[in-house]
Amino acid sequence: MKDTKEEKLRSRVREISRFYSRSGRMPSFSEIGEMTGLRSKNAVYKLVNKLAALKVLEKDAKGRLIPGSIASPVKILGTVEAGFPSPAEEELVDTLSLDSLLIQNPEATFLLKVSGDSMSGAGILPGDMVLVDKGQTPKSGDIVIAEVDGEWTMKYLKKRGENVALIPANPNYKPIRPKKELKIAGVVTAVVRKYR
Amino acid sequence: MTTQPLTIRSWPRAILHLDADAFFASCEQAVHPELRGRPVITGKERGIVAAASYEAKAKGITRGVSLYDVKKICPDAVIVPSDYETYSLFSVRMFEILRRFSPDVEEYSIDEAFVDLTGLRRSFHGPYGMIAKKMQETVGTELGITVSVGVSLSKVLAKIGSKHNKPHGLTLIPGRDIHLYIEKLPVEKVWGIGPNTAAFLRKFGITTALQLAKKDEQFIQKHLSKPYQEIWHELNGRSVYPVVTESKSSYQSISKTKTFTPPSDDETFVFAQLSKNLENACIKARRYRLSATRLILFLRTQEFRDAGLELKLSRPTAYPIDLFKPLREGFEQIYHAGNRYRQTGVVLTGLVPDTTVQYTLFDDTAKIEKFSKIYSAVDKVSEKFGKYAVHHASSLPTKLQTQHEGERGDAPQRKGELFKGENKRQRLGLPVLNVKV
Repeated sequence: MKDTKEEKLRSRVREISRFYSRSGRMPSFSEIGEMTGLRSKNAVYKLVNKLAALKVLEKDAKGRLIPGSIASPVKILGTVEAGFPSPAEEELVDTLSLDSLLIQNPEATFLLKVSGDSMSGAGILPGDMVLVDKGQTPKSGDIVIAEVDGEWTMKYLKKRGENVALIPANPNYKPIRPKKELKIAGVVTAVVRKYR
Repeated sequence: MTTQPLTIRSWPRAILHLDADAFFASCEQAVHPELRGRPVITGKERGIVAAASYEAKAKGITRGVSLYDVKKICPDAVIVPSDYETYSLFSVRMFEILRRFSPDVEEYSIDEAFVDLTGLRRSFHGPYGMIAKKMQETVGTELGITVSVGVSLSKVLAKIGSKHNKPHGLTLIPGRDIHLYIEKLPVEKVWGIGPNTAAFLRKFGITTALQLAKKDEQFIQKHLSKPYQEIWHELNGRSVYPVVTESKSSYQSISKTKTFTPPSDDETFVFAQLSKNLENACIKARRYRLSATRLILFLRTQEFRDAGLELKLSRPTAYPIDLFKPLREGFEQIYHAGNRYRQTGVVLTGLVPDTTVQYTLFDDTAKIEKFSKIYSAVDKVSEKFGKYAVHHASSLPTKLQTQHEGERGDAPQRKGELFKGENKRQRLGLPVLNVKV
């Protein structure tokens, strides 16, 4: 008994999902009624509420339907959708390029070639490229590019109250406590190493 | 009399003009932090100052001064070759930052922009001055260069504002204050008024911008042509020039010139330089789908004496092969054996869209079709393998000597130090910070 009930619900979700992928919009209540064979709007209303509880779809402030997991019904209900039109296209809409993964702020990001090994413990080696974001506010724990008393360096930034220190990730180097001046040029957001 | 405002409306429009301070030199200082605070000069490959940092300007160095003189005036100046790739990256980024504030951004030149701020006080919850300051600060922190900004009621006035206080200035000229800013401004300093117009205006006793602005419309209509009537409106705070947001998609003319050192008296070499310029100009024309109806060529001798010629073409074209014959004929008219030449140039003008080309009765259309196929193939090859992958043999002798021999041949650092995967032609589209860490 329970199985057939669930099966029925699944087939209804499939109907709605098919409508959504075919016409690119969610159906109206009367359209749901037509496709599921439910004659009263109240029955449709109950079905919609049930599906909203399952997060298959959502209702906006005016009560109109917004797709929920229906855009990718496979994941939620576990039914494999055969004949889903162009899955590649649908699924690839929400992918990141390597560029946008590495670069949050394209206008403020600079490249820098690393020459020293003071951050080798953090996985940054000589010859690596690091991406430096000049627009971000440096936080304690960030790797930063800084000018300390006239010298340039790349270190972990550690802030505790008023005290600021630059900590290397290599035991051969000593932490730096700026005596006169500390200027932070940017925050390291990524490191890129190409092998071949 | 002069204390009376030109208009009492403060901000019927709010146009911002942004001008980067010593742009090329500032970019160099941004990517080479060790150059900050030092006199920096770009243009090593040109032999003259292309841009001078404010530290260098303070010592009396201006654009166009020869580098030989620079070394005399300011021996500690740092002279670097131009790195146009980095400057272009900075320029694109600067415009992108401005677009975060307003969609109406006009890219006026590589280092100048107009932005229409009208109506944005609401969304930024503050006055126009605050928005302008934010823009200036964002460019400063993200790019590490300073810019000067002027905000006023029209483009002409905004430009006066940005020039008012350089470098790193921020000048607001609301309607009721216009007269204060243009009272002492010589009329030839106004955008669009050249020395000839200024001399003409002096005949009527007009020497300052305010005097021009105060003239009545009848006088302006009677004595000045439309462009100057527009400037007159703009000076009075009535915006006429729109902020044009489309990027440039068409050209009036396309010119390509190249200087080479040492100067040459080798006819083959000089013609090859001209031929290469022609090929370059044609590549650009084809990229914008344009054809030229007139061809100008000129040669410049070591003594800076110019000889030039304008030729009318029988049919619009953007194919070098059609142009070599007139180019050769023109060259033979203006070339004098025994002269040493330092620069050649080619200008394509009378440009028309290549779709409207009308063949004459005597044209061999089959041949022209063939050329169009050949050149579209050449353009495709260049796209894949780089410019000059395929070129005409007449440009080949340019390889007899490098463009600039001696220290002027120094390439910018960016072109020398490559990351794995980068090559001579293609580098990552990000500026490189040059610090040792």
